[in-house]
Amino acid sequence: MNGRTGVARPRTVDEVTAATRGLDGRIAYVAGATDLIIAQDGIPWPDLVIDITQVAGFNTVEVSRGFIRIGAATTMTTLSNHKTIGTEMMALARAAAKVGSVQIRNRATIGGNIASAMPAGDLLPALHCLGARIGILRRDGLHETLGFEAVVVGRGETCLGNGDLITTIYLPRETPKRRISAFVKTGPREVLTIARLGVAASIRLNPKLNRVEDARVVAGALAPVPLRMHQVEATLRDREIGQPLADDFLFALSQAVDAAIPGRHSQPYKRRAITGLGLDLLQQLFNREFDIPSVQAEPA
Amino acid sequence: MEKGKEPVMDCPETRPIAPVVVRKSPASTIPVVLHVNGQEHRIKVRRQDRLSSVLRDALGLTGLKEGCLEGECGACTVLLDDMPVNACLVLAFQADARKITTVEGVENADGSLSPLQQAFLDRGAVQCGYCTPGMVMAAHGLLLQNPRPSESEIREGLGGNLCRCTGFQTIVEAVKTVAEL
Repeated sequence: MNGRTGVARPRTVDEVTAATRGLDGRIAYVAGATDLIIAQDGIPWPDLVIDITQVAGFNTVEVSRGFIRIGAATTMTTLSNHKTIGTEMMALARAAAKVGSVQIRNRATIGGNIASAMPAGDLLPALHCLGARIGILRRDGLHETLGFEAVVVGRGETCLGNGDLITTIYLPRETPKRRISAFVKTGPREVLTIARLGVAASIRLNPKLNRVEDARVVAGALAPVPLRMHQVEATLRDREIGQPLADDFLFALSQAVDAAIPGRHSQPYKRRAITGLGLDLLQQLFNREFDIPSVQAEPA
Repeated sequence: MEKGKEPVMDCPETRPIAPVVVRKSPASTIPVVLHVNGQEHRIKVRRQDRLSSVLRDALGLTGLKEGCLEGECGACTVLLDDMPVNACLVLAFQADARKITTVEGVENADGSLSPLQQAFLDRGAVQCGYCTPGMVMAAHGLLLQNPRPSESEIREGLGGNLCRCTGFQTIVEAVKTVAEL
């Protein structure tokens, strides 16, 4: 440690890099601080705390032709109120709207949700199913852009080394109306609840909007990292929208829970809960009601 | 989408970084200017200080309560730039130069209770009173953003505040009477 400790409040990316240069100690980046304050309670603080909320471009959402660019310090409130995100990236808008309470959403940020990498992180399944790419500033000043799966690698684990920083989230845009996404979650309470289970889905419809061409379905709080459920996706892909699709989809969701947490005490609950979540998800995606299948899959 | 077929996007290029000087403060204290209820306060805070403890202990604004210290109870709710936040989960140094409103700043200019505060009394929405400052601030913040909230919007807006006495119904009714004015 060289004595350059304390707090830095950089206003540019160059200043971020300069703040960490030559420092041996632990570095913590902070935006909303909703996780950091609790995590640091009663234990020594990092050698340098870098507040990234004033860095130019870190609080903005920019919509360009090919993608939506979201600064890492963008709050949940901003995400849930943003017009283009609300129409084209509904899974992310809904996930952001379901985080904590109004008070938390006014502080908590998308970059923090990714960096914390908690299994119940609400934005994570949404970002995964939307094909998010994450812009990272390495400590040596180099920029890198990685796919979601390369960034969130374990429970509370990311690819970020000490001093590395998430700067940007890129969401690819596709033909509006044909690309639809949704997010549902359940927990002990309606509000301010840590997800026991969350599911995000992103689908592409055919030009007539009556068939699913492609689908990505990702579960949150079911595995250490957001779990892409390929067999569930297969029940949607290249299928006509209707009750047979719903029956197969809901059955596959329960099977995915059985495969993910066999024998876990929460398995009986989650394999049923995911059926209810699946119904809500289908309703969000297709804007119509479906029936619960009469025969429930039995635990494997 | 298969791996290796991710869409190509226009992302920032790798580029060299020029050395620059960064504003930094010693680890001990950080000078900040807090604009609280229209008054300017120039104080020094430690980097780990929560806004809730600075408001209570340094500025004597004890209306807000530090209940759970983890964002669950909402008793410490204040407005930061007119948005409700848990003051216990805000680092005080990050509130530098920001506008802060506490429950002490909600009353009318002549010192009488605001219509919202009066509605809490009229509706019996106060019992032990511990949650009340947080409830008032969450409701005040909601009404600033949305002057005519529906009942479900009120419940959503107050979802981050816990009350163990009144059962919430009277609190929601108090906010409704002001929303309907």
